Amino acid sequence: MPGRQSRRSVLAAIAALPLTGTLGACSGSGSGGSGGTSTTTRITFWSAIRGSQEVVDAFNRTHDRVQVDFQQIPSGGQGGYAKLSNAARAGNAPDVATIEYPEVPGFAIDGVASDITSLISDRLRARLLPQSLGLTTFQDRTFSVPLDIEPMVLHYRADLFDRYGLTVPRTWEEFEQTARAVRRKAPDRRLALFPTDGAMNFAAYAWQAGAQWFDTRSGAWNVSLADRPTRHVAAYWQRLIDDDLVFMNPGDSRQFDAQVGNGLILARLTGAWDAGAQMNERPGQRGLWRIAPLPQWDPDRPAVGTHGGSTFAVTKDSRHPEAAMEFIEWQVSHADALRARLSSGASSAYPTVPDLVAVGRDAFDRSYYSDQDIYTLFEEQAHAVRDGWVWGPRMTATSRVMQDGFARASGGEGTIIDSVRDAQAGTMPDLRALGLSTSEHST
Amino acid sequence: MTPSAPATPAVTTAPPNGTTADGSRRVRARDPRKVARRRQLGACGVLMAPFFILLVTVFLIPVGTAVWLSFFSEDQPGLGFGPERTVFVGLRSYAAVLNDPTFLSGLGTVVLYCVIYIPVMVLGALALALLLDSGVVRLRSWAQLGLFLPHAVPGIIAALIWLYLYTPGISPVIEVLGKADITVDFLGVHTVLPSIVNIALWSNLGYNMVIFYAALQAVPREVVEAAVVDGAGPVRAAVQVKTPLVRPSIVMVAMFTFIWSLQLFTEPMLLSQSSPMISSRFSPSMYIYDAAFTRNNYSLAAAAAVVLLICTIALSYGVTRWTSRVNSAEEATR
Repeated sequence: MPGRQSRRSVLAAIAALPLTGTLGACSGSGSGGSGGTSTTTRITFWSAIRGSQEVVDAFNRTHDRVQVDFQQIPSGGQGGYAKLSNAARAGNAPDVATIEYPEVPGFAIDGVASDITSLISDRLRARLLPQSLGLTTFQDRTFSVPLDIEPMVLHYRADLFDRYGLTVPRTWEEFEQTARAVRRKAPDRRLALFPTDGAMNFAAYAWQAGAQWFDTRSGAWNVSLADRPTRHVAAYWQRLIDDDLVFMNPGDSRQFDAQVGNGLILARLTGAWDAGAQMNERPGQRGLWRIAPLPQWDPDRPAVGTHGGSTFAVTKDSRHPEAAMEFIEWQVSHADALRARLSSGASSAYPTVPDLVAVGRDAFDRSYYSDQDIYTLFEEQAHAVRDGWVWGPRMTATSRVMQDGFARASGGEGTIIDSVRDAQAGTMPDLRALGLSTSEHST
Repeated sequence: MTPSAPATPAVTTAPPNGTTADGSRRVRARDPRKVARRRQLGACGVLMAPFFILLVTVFLIPVGTAVWLSFFSEDQPGLGFGPERTVFVGLRSYAAVLNDPTFLSGLGTVVLYCVIYIPVMVLGALALALLLDSGVVRLRSWAQLGLFLPHAVPGIIAALIWLYLYTPGISPVIEVLGKADITVDFLGVHTVLPSIVNIALWSNLGYNMVIFYAALQAVPREVVEAAVVDGAGPVRAAVQVKTPLVRPSIVMVAMFTFIWSLQLFTEPMLLSQSSPMISSRFSPSMYIYDAAFTRNNYSLAAAAAVVLLICTIALSYGVTRWTSRVNSAEEATR
């Protein structure tokens, strides 16, 4: 569940809670605790994900040996990651922290997320979708446990597709034709948005097309943001932008809210989680949206990338890693945990533990999507996630530089591929200053 | 400059004490000059201590820490996973900073900012001060107050006010212009830098004007009167007589403005909340902030800070040398 879904709830939480900072956290990380009962282990947990308080309450009700102190923190981009880094520097990071997939390597390199390979039970390992675990494992060492995996899908306005006589595009070629048809038939509407703050969306397109921005072969970070598949994807979207077939503005903005709210945009290309977010944010559009697989480059060999998703890490400052791991395992794999999370509001986050899919499916109000069985679709798409993708060691910074370029491109300066190259050029000095072995390709 | 000032009175007052002392004191104090010298040193010490304490705690220690940080890093070779050790890395972080296109473009942005801002600021403040000094403006003290008031507004509040005026949809300025069929995007690719210059001008014009005005008050009236008698009009008297006489303050204002500009941070940081055209590494100071708090790369941040400090010192020194050389050259021709 990335920041955008939980943005509102997080903002509300920031407004409601005083910033208790790290004091509350470090006081709770000691052992022993309540009433001198030495059998109870207290651990601390930080998360920005909505519904975490409910999950923690459910855990504390059903467990005696381990008790969790929860602190709601801002989402990563809003300061949550800076808070975690600073706490780790000060030596009082929480036992369990929430980290989104792209930031896992960074926190692992900084030593904030500790190596939990030996702590993960074989039972849990067997239940997790391998593609998701692959994203948190480096050199056969696992640094965090995935909660959800979010294949990118095509959310579309079925009513407007009907009105303009459009069919759901199965390939990117059809997607382009559909975009042209939309512009022709309804000049003020567009098929989709190319978000200027959407480095993660662009990464998902590149991932699907077979790009490999980072790889860790031969013990070095090999960086090739502008590889052949990425150049292909960039050229494709550049054409759509140049021909004015898509909007190009920030996705996390009132402008985009208005575009979706007023039906100016016919399709959203986002992760599975966005189905629930859309439901919560725009109840008035009930029955108008449907979900389809992401268009493919080659329909015979379908593949997708992911957009969003969170993981849980045990930090280096945890004095009770086993207890922390017990809580994490319960949280990602127990049906009660998911039920508790869903009690705080609808969510379509797709669990990495397949047994939980049925729980999510039962709890999800299908009427918003006109009884479409979106979970079956997500299940197929989750298995189509292309294996082998690796996020980089400083993904927040890499995305920011890329998005700075996208923003300039939307103002008529530069192109998408320029932005991608700038992102690589702005990332390499960082990696070198961190003392990592690096190599650069495809500049 | 400040620490040497209190020492001067001590020099003039000490000798009389020594000479008026009678014979017995002369015996006890083996050497009156030594006593005077010691007292003088004591006075110097007491008067200069606050300055040195502050210099050490808020300047030398932080600079030393930054320099130290820039030479060390927490390393784990290869992919970087696993336990980290603090190791000496030499100039590695400096090499990274100087090879980082985003840092260099930040420096470029600040240089462009200086090129636009400093001349406009100095000329604007000087023109206003000359206007006030010439007596053209009525309600002089009110005009001064009105011009100075924005300087009393903290930078962050100023940026918020201007953010409101710049943001399409909520800005009354854009709305009024829109009614006249003029569309302006104050936060566009090419307009964002002038927009930041405008905020800085608004904040600092009055302050620098006051400095120039004070300097103009010190210009001997006879000189101006002589010029008027010789037939100089008010404009000519202002440009050719008064302006050269306040040149030291012009140099000082330009220098301070320049040092302040190199550290450009508050305004772009705040505007970046609203305009994607301001990148997260827009200026060197923003680069340093981003390196430390987004990238969690403290040695890189420290190296960038030291590079910025060296640039600032070198450029300030260069400007000072240049102006003093011009001064002495001019005096020689007189």
